[in-house]
Amino acid sequence: MNILLRSWSAYTRMTLRWPGLAAIVPFIPVIALWLAVTEAGIFPRAFLPGPVEVVKAFFTLTYKGILPDYLQDSLLRLISGAAVGMALGIPLGVLIGTSRWARRISWPILLFFQAIGDIAWLPILLIWFGFGITTMTFVIVYTVLFPVVLNTVLGVESVPPDMARAARSLGASRARVLWEVTLPGALPNIITGLRNGLGYGWRALIAVEIIVGTSGIGFMMFDARRAGSVVEILLGMIILGLLWYIVDAWILAPIERATGQRWGLVTS
Amino acid sequence: MKTLTLRNLAKTYFDPYAGAHVNAVQDVSLEVEQGEFVSVVGPSGCGKTTILNMIAGFIPYSGGEILLNGKPIDGPGPERGVVFQSFALFPWKTVLDNVGFGPKMRGVPKAERDKIAYEYLALAGLSHAANRYPNELSGGMQQRVGVVRALANHPDVLLMDEPFASVDAQTRMTLQEELTRIWQERRPTVIFITHDVPEAVFLANRVVVLSKGRVLDQVEVDLPRPRVWNDLIEDDNFKRLSSQVLHMVRSA
Repeated sequence: MNILLRSWSAYTRMTLRWPGLAAIVPFIPVIALWLAVTEAGIFPRAFLPGPVEVVKAFFTLTYKGILPDYLQDSLLRLISGAAVGMALGIPLGVLIGTSRWARRISWPILLFFQAIGDIAWLPILLIWFGFGITTMTFVIVYTVLFPVVLNTVLGVESVPPDMARAARSLGASRARVLWEVTLPGALPNIITGLRNGLGYGWRALIAVEIIVGTSGIGFMMFDARRAGSVVEILLGMIILGLLWYIVDAWILAPIERATGQRWGLVTS
Repeated sequence: MKTLTLRNLAKTYFDPYAGAHVNAVQDVSLEVEQGEFVSVVGPSGCGKTTILNMIAGFIPYSGGEILLNGKPIDGPGPERGVVFQSFALFPWKTVLDNVGFGPKMRGVPKAERDKIAYEYLALAGLSHAANRYPNELSGGMQQRVGVVRALANHPDVLLMDEPFASVDAQTRMTLQEELTRIWQERRPTVIFITHDVPEAVFLANRVVVLSKGRVLDQVEVDLPRPRVWNDLIEDDNFKRLSSQVLHMVRSA
């Protein structure tokens, strides 16, 4: 018992020094189990390859240049789609959050279209725009847009009215109140919206690439299915998880720590 | 020289739940002179916060008029500084930038407004907290920031809406003493809303008692300054004035 406690506290101290460790260690038993199942030979190797084969496939595909190209394609699609979604979503959310009329008119429409999930648009988009970048971009922008708009509205409405009043009675014009009070006050929610939007967008992208794609991680996985290469499918799945972890832990979480948590608007 | 004049001020609003019009403020006339400290007391629902919100320009009034230096007010403005019960500090700005916010809106350059903010922070004994964020401060310290943030903008009149209601009793007494000291140094015109009778008497030159949306009575407070609780708590004049006002409020 004592040894367990001591090793736990040693582990806690180590993760404080190397935060990356806390992300890796929990996967050790998962990988070990995977290794054990494959080594035990319960399933045929082609049906369930082990971690070593997947790592090998990673290096082969990277060496051939396929993986970097596909990864780049997927990420560029996500980033451009997310940028457009934010550029549309944040102003729209602020408008709906600040204007009672805009809210009354748009809210039912927003909820209606939110229910028509990204993939549900594909049949009609394929008829309208065909198998191409327009269809993909539309789906990603659509997917990112809703969480950003809805969370921005929520954020704008969560700013205490007294803060806007304080700013007004300190001489701020309505436009300055928007910039100095409404936007920073809504920022923690906007980041949450972005986080959700990127998460949904990432999933939608893979789905779209499977159906529409000629490149990208989703395409790679579906193409591998055609060739019966389970190794590449597993590799694609692992990359999806890893990439999301990197985006979330290295980009989004630090932004959250520097804003909402620092200001005491969000509890960590 | 009259700073602030309320003439037959009235506020009626429609209560959708009761399905009727409610007279929050019936007919209030009041003169506040420059440099005066006026406390407004009354039981809850007497309309005191409504009056303050109308003077601040946060809500429109339905009858009468509000004149500041002879001119009718129109919406919120920097000549009427407000201190809120909820503090209403900007959590994403440091204490320094909170206090410098008014000057910033006037277009004062950064170096200059930092100087102003530091001067006012020193007035409240908060120089050490300049670079902290509001959520890192205690409630009492936050409201000190709230007071000097309003003062740093040199308002013609300072409107305070139960500013010390949400801090603990000991801190409240300290804040009251500090407020009287700052008032003596700077002589701002203050309208102070409270439901706490001893607080109203302790701070003010004059206490206005409200009841059911009307001015019930007014009491001059001629207690000597500087005022500190250790002296006043046993002071006969203070006790007499407090009980006089308390009886008015209780009968209201």
